[in-house]
Amino acid sequence: MWLRRIATDRIAKRFAPDEALIIAAPVKGALRLSAVNDAAAALGLRAGMPLADARAMHPAIAVAQADERADLALLEAVADWCDRYTPLVGLDAPDGLLLDVTGCAHLFGGETALARDLVRQLGERGLQARAAVAGTVGCAWGVARHSASLPPPERGRSASAASRVGVVASGEERHAIAPLPLTALRLDTDTITALAQVGLKHIADVLDRPRAPLAARFGASFVRRIDQALGLEDEPITPRLPVPAALAEQRFPEPIAHERDVLGTIERLAVRLAHVLEQRGEGARLLQVVLFRADGKVFRLEAGTGAPLREPRLIARLFADRLDVIGDEVDPGFGFDIVRLCALVTERSDPQQTGLATPDHDAELAHLIDRLGARFGLRRVMRQMPQDTHIPEFAVTAVAASASLPSPLRGVRAFTPVFDGERSTAVAQRRRSGWGSEFLLTTASNSHDPPPQPSPATRAFTPVFDGLWGEGARELAVSLDSPFPTRPIRLFARPEPVDATAELPDGPPAQFTWRRVRHIVARAEGPERIAMRWWRDEAGRTLMRDYFRVESRDGVRVWLFHEWPADPHLAPRWFVHGVFA
Amino acid sequence: MLPADMEQLSRLRRAIAKSEALPEETRSLALGVPAIDAALGGGLPGAALHELSATPLHLGVAAGFALALASLAQEAPKERAKETLWIATDFGNLETGALYGPGLDQFGLATDRLLIVRVARPVDALFAMEEALKCRALSAVIAEFGEAPDLTATRRLSLAAKDHGSLGLILRHGSNDAPSAARTRWQIASAPSVPDEFGGLGPTAFSLELTRNRRGPCGTWTLTWDHHERVFAALSLGVAEADRDRPDRETLRTG
Repeated sequence: MWLRRIATDRIAKRFAPDEALIIAAPVKGALRLSAVNDAAAALGLRAGMPLADARAMHPAIAVAQADERADLALLEAVADWCDRYTPLVGLDAPDGLLLDVTGCAHLFGGETALARDLVRQLGERGLQARAAVAGTVGCAWGVARHSASLPPPERGRSASAASRVGVVASGEERHAIAPLPLTALRLDTDTITALAQVGLKHIADVLDRPRAPLAARFGASFVRRIDQALGLEDEPITPRLPVPAALAEQRFPEPIAHERDVLGTIERLAVRLAHVLEQRGEGARLLQVVLFRADGKVFRLEAGTGAPLREPRLIARLFADRLDVIGDEVDPGFGFDIVRLCALVTERSDPQQTGLATPDHDAELAHLIDRLGARFGLRRVMRQMPQDTHIPEFAVTAVAASASLPSPLRGVRAFTPVFDGERSTAVAQRRRSGWGSEFLLTTASNSHDPPPQPSPATRAFTPVFDGLWGEGARELAVSLDSPFPTRPIRLFARPEPVDATAELPDGPPAQFTWRRVRHIVARAEGPERIAMRWWRDEAGRTLMRDYFRVESRDGVRVWLFHEWPADPHLAPRWFVHGVFA
Repeated sequence: MLPADMEQLSRLRRAIAKSEALPEETRSLALGVPAIDAALGGGLPGAALHELSATPLHLGVAAGFALALASLAQEAPKERAKETLWIATDFGNLETGALYGPGLDQFGLATDRLLIVRVARPVDALFAMEEALKCRALSAVIAEFGEAPDLTATRRLSLAAKDHGSLGLILRHGSNDAPSAARTRWQIASAPSVPDEFGGLGPTAFSLELTRNRRGPCGTWTLTWDHHERVFAALSLGVAEADRDRPDRETLRTG
């Protein structure tokens, strides 16, 4: 499909229909015409002419500046619109679209009717188009642009849609392209000039010539173009958008505008989609609703799911949520004439035996996650996953709940430091600091049931079951509050600087001022020294932090640290990194 | 399957579900401290909305109390497979810090049974909470609000909690004086902990003030949380500060 005058059509509404309009763009430092409309073409102006020449010929002509980006946006909008004919729409920038109508044409009453409908509808929207249907991309391309049997449409929009449509029957490609000029083969200008120099002007001139000399002289791509046009070489259309695995759609003779109607339609479509998916034994992981507005604008709403889904009621609710959030952006205007529901990504989903009376908690939770995800974004519904690092900020990471599978170790406490090489500094420091943990570790290793050494593969998630360490260790752990250094319940993404004064250079603070409130320290534990990874300060020293658990006289418990080694000339900088319960 | 068959099947399913559905007993969550449980009439009502307030300095403790309640709720026999949902606003996360997985361990809540939703606006938090309260797969829903939700919003949430038998906890920044439809309202602050043998920080200590209780008296208590046994325990009076701010109100105190 060829939009002959896309650049001028885009802005044509601002001008009288019969006014000559040219578009100029800088080419190699000079302003040249990049596009002309029919009226201007009739005045003898051609694309590629210098603007100065055009002005000299017709001083009063309207000139507009080229805007390739806007042209491309228009082409993409048209491509979106063309989705109504086939899900396989490819861009052929700057002014063409490739539609794979295989298997779709009969829905519109045949290839000719489809192409005519396309050209007519685009014409009604002010876009002059020529379309050709052929067995190969190359052939359709050439016929749409250059076929003499498609008379160049007369000025204005008087030409009927029928005259701008060419249909090449299967097997007739050779016959159809033979009379066309060589430019119909999608060749670059250099090749065409070179061919013209040796007197080859039409495709018929080269069709029957031996290939090898042609390839040797004009390049392999030239011969490939011929083969592609004839269908000797395959040329797939690259679709702009992912082709849905399954889709259902509803067309309306009269557009619908109410949200209630749209949602009702989505649910009806979901029933049809569910049938298709059920037959395949699949469920949708990513769903899309495409709303074709009557004036050509297309809206796409997507909703992801955590588990394969095909229950129509749930699908409809997902989109109800989605519409609720972005409802204002989806302006129905004069209404939607096509509503389509696609399953973009599907996954195998075996039928499951559900209880009749007992509620299915997993499914219900999965649906809640999907719905909250549809409204707030799937990445905002998350679980925390422990990471194998001792740096507090990275010890946990948020994983989208829809992406994480239910853990086989459900209900097991997860955060347990593992003493591998990376942690040895932390352990040594902790021992030196006289924390309870040293005592506990000793006890644990002496007990009859020592903690198993985790294998490297599982070490990040080593669970500690209550009672694993034997009774003695457990009792001790209780009295020590925690077998491992206690971590705050809330952590600030950026540690907050505080004013603190310590009695000893390496000791805990005696008081600190945080958010303008002064706290007198009643009790403190620490330091726990945590080394950062490989990064260094300006002097090349490893960065470390000395953490203290501190309780104020009022009972406020915070996690304070100062950076180490501190600059001897400056007072140490203290930060609050978290709050304990 | 033909549509008619599907219809019949779903009708049959409904009929069986109706005849087999067990009446949902109104569960209540015993805190394990006799004085509080007595004031609450046997424990914190399970199918209701409760409001916890704390001033910004004490939000860590308040979060701890909420999570401790959630972990108790997960312990209930019928709730074992269920999860807890925490709804946080972006602003709250910046202002008071985000929930930190390794610290949650202290409250007996496994991170793979805790879902966190981060929303941009308080309105979104209300929506998420109402939807979550309707979900039977959650044992507790906790939402954090910088600004207190109004009476209408809390009434909606309260109804959702009651109708679907779920436990909803609102964590409010500041003190609670605005009208609210919550069943109970608590003011939470941290209390000095009892030092351990080495002079370090002892287990978490809460100072709880029950400021509103629809079915019983109010009171002030100081508790500690033992995360190994997952129980609250009353802190001995020798350490807890006596409360002097509400002389007019009858207080219940643990001995």
